[in-house]
Amino acid sequence: MTAALALHNVRKHFDDVEVLKGISLTAHRGDVISLIGSSGSGKSTLLRCMNLLEIPDAGDIDLSGERINLRQSRGGKRVPANQKQIDRARARIGMVFQSFNLWDHMTLLENVMEAPVHVLKQTKRDAREKAQALLAKVGLPDAAHRYPAQLSGGQQQRVAIARALAIEPEILLFDEPTSALDPELASSVLLVIQELAEEGRTMLLATHEMGFAKEVSSEVVFLHQGKIEEQGAPEQVFDNPVSKRCHAFLQASR
Amino acid sequence: MNFTTMLEYLPQMLDGAWLSLQITGLSLFLGFLLAIPVSLMRLSHLAALRLPAQLYMFYFRGTPLLVQLFLIYYGSGQFRHELEQIGLWAFFRDAWFCAVFALTLNACAYTAEIFRGAILAVPKSDIQAGKAFGMSGLLLFRRIIFPKALRIALPSYGNEVIFLLQASSLVSIITLMDLTGVASRLVAKTFAVYEIYILTAAIYIAITYMLVVIFKLFERILNKHLRTDS
Repeated sequence: MTAALALHNVRKHFDDVEVLKGISLTAHRGDVISLIGSSGSGKSTLLRCMNLLEIPDAGDIDLSGERINLRQSRGGKRVPANQKQIDRARARIGMVFQSFNLWDHMTLLENVMEAPVHVLKQTKRDAREKAQALLAKVGLPDAAHRYPAQLSGGQQQRVAIARALAIEPEILLFDEPTSALDPELASSVLLVIQELAEEGRTMLLATHEMGFAKEVSSEVVFLHQGKIEEQGAPEQVFDNPVSKRCHAFLQASR
Repeated sequence: MNFTTMLEYLPQMLDGAWLSLQITGLSLFLGFLLAIPVSLMRLSHLAALRLPAQLYMFYFRGTPLLVQLFLIYYGSGQFRHELEQIGLWAFFRDAWFCAVFALTLNACAYTAEIFRGAILAVPKSDIQAGKAFGMSGLLLFRRIIFPKALRIALPSYGNEVIFLLQASSLVSIITLMDLTGVASRLVAKTFAVYEIYILTAAIYIAITYMLVVIFKLFERILNKHLRTDS
């Protein structure tokens, strides 16, 4: 079976800091992979490489077996060889950001309809119907015509999840989706994410919610200083880590 | 102060005001449309696009509007032969055309600078979300960057609109009978300096007030997403 997403030896540096030092990771359909590790371990950067918001300096990315074409620019930086391919790939990957990144000048309904109408060229009627259903699914059935600024952080993040679902993505990426929320708001978001996991969606999430990661993941990856330090089933990583660093990290985050 | 004099000349003055509004409105409209590509050129990474825009904006913001009007209206006479050959002389010998041409280029330069700042001020998070959903290039600009930049630019742009209205009074110097032009002619004829210029000032203030109200309305409509009470 072709992997939904495969990273091969991905490297990324910012100025002289090497953030990712050669990461290979495969997500099969239906996998829920949690990326854990301390801040600065490269979780977010890795996630952002997956939809090419960061272009890796080295290494390759395959999306459902399709290699993303990257080339060397004249300045020596790696750039997309074909922007259309990148756009197409991104439209198949739903992204949920740490600080929601809703378009605050659009209503919630418009936020959710935006990509289906303008990127996927669906009709407004279809997109609106689907958007309304998705807003109901994330627990905001009556808020379609409100603006993001009128919502709590937890509500905004649930709208952001609805927006990501609207493109019917093959893969969902969550970049620390609850880090900007207090525990009460966070739990409403985690509930939605858990529901998605149970639907069998392919998901990768960077998170600091250890209990949640243990519960929903099919695989847990512990990153340390830009490398995969420990990787395996949640029970193994959380209860029986091989790596000392992973053990120490888990102790500290209890 | 003689109110009968003021009332007597009011219709002529309003005709002049109408011309002021026409020239200002048309120049603003064209300047706005041109300012979008110019500001994008100015922000381009390609020197071949950026430098011409930079030079143009530097020149039109670096010289007085009056000098620009003189150069276009009187200066074009120097090239009468060439302009006739390419069929443009009919335009350049017309003061109205020269006024709109100069004001458009002037307004465009300032507006492009306002847009440049506004585009740079669009939150990175909005742009990233757009990219993450498969937008790039023109689509990203049209759907995400421009609508947001417009909201950021609005207060400064409202200022530019008022500035251009006042600056349009300079077109009277190249023979046009705008509000200021009519006023100067009436003053020369009647010597009722005080009455006529008071009336002139009052009309400019009335138009400005109207513009202020219109922009307030725009801001209310475009920024309704910022209100948290509805």
